[in-house]
Amino acid sequence: MDAYREGKLPRDIMTQVESHLETCKTCSEIYRLQVLADKVIDQERKLQSDPFLTNRIMAGIDDPAGSGSQSETVLIRILKPALMTVSMAAAIFFGILLGNLSQPVTDRVKLPVELALIDDAAIETVNILLNE
Amino acid sequence: MTDSEVIKLILQGDKDKFRMLVEQYQQMVFRTCMGFLHNKDDADDLTQDVFIRTYQSLSRFKGDSAFSTWLYRIAVNASLNKIRKSPLNMIFQRFENITGGKNEKERYHLLSNEEDPENILIRREHFEWVQRALDTLPENQRTAIVLSKYDDFSQKEIAEIMDITEGAVEALLQRAKKNLREKLSSQRKNK
Repeated sequence: MDAYREGKLPRDIMTQVESHLETCKTCSEIYRLQVLADKVIDQERKLQSDPFLTNRIMAGIDDPAGSGSQSETVLIRILKPALMTVSMAAAIFFGILLGNLSQPVTDRVKLPVELALIDDAAIETVNILLNE
Repeated sequence: MTDSEVIKLILQGDKDKFRMLVEQYQQMVFRTCMGFLHNKDDADDLTQDVFIRTYQSLSRFKGDSAFSTWLYRIAVNASLNKIRKSPLNMIFQRFENITGGKNEKERYHLLSNEEDPENILIRREHFEWVQRALDTLPENQRTAIVLSKYDDFSQKEIAEIMDITEGAVEALLQRAKKNLREKLSSQRKNK
């Protein structure tokens, strides 16, 4: 069948195959599908590459880091969300840590009487005002 | 100027000479990539990747075979690596399909000149049959058929690229054609 399709058979055998294809449904279907495959392949073959591809390649050689090759693109696609998640988790963690560090001291140290005189908060307590 | 002379100059520091090799082999490498990927944009990107890799490893080219043979080996290996889908790649591809990352015209760019919607549908179906049948061939059969059908290489050239004997290439091509026929027939019956 391949030889027939490629026209590599002698003329008399070509005619025999042709007449067989006219009568045999199975063979004609196989032939039709093979012609279809050839047609699809032929159309893909005819495609031209990007006209700027040479410039892209030469630019990629000059700057391999910025070439945006396939493997790099996939790596970036995986690493970017992972890096963002890690950054957000780190930001939340350090936020909580800093927040805890700046909390007001609840247990006030009792000052001696002498020093209490220069501590406004100690002088003007509610108790003093009530006693007055 | 022969390929060897150009390579010598590149290795001596004249990297602009690499443009000559790119211009000479670009379309052929693109066709090989297209045979494996069936998508113009992906094939363009992979061709770029292949030439950059080639340039980076040019100093390792011993000259035991022709430069073109060595270049095609790189192109075939890069294409095979690309299509050996990891689960992650498959998830990304499915996601792209769901979100319409590649629309009909991009995926079936060859049909862009068609105007009759019925014809577009039929031809799209035919394209899918052939592409699916090619994609499900074993790797070595697929490589042989791509090099033979897309690049028009002789069995001798394919044997050099695949580093096997000519007899093995012939057997591979016959098995590939038989498999392709069977796969296409079964898809036609399943329709």
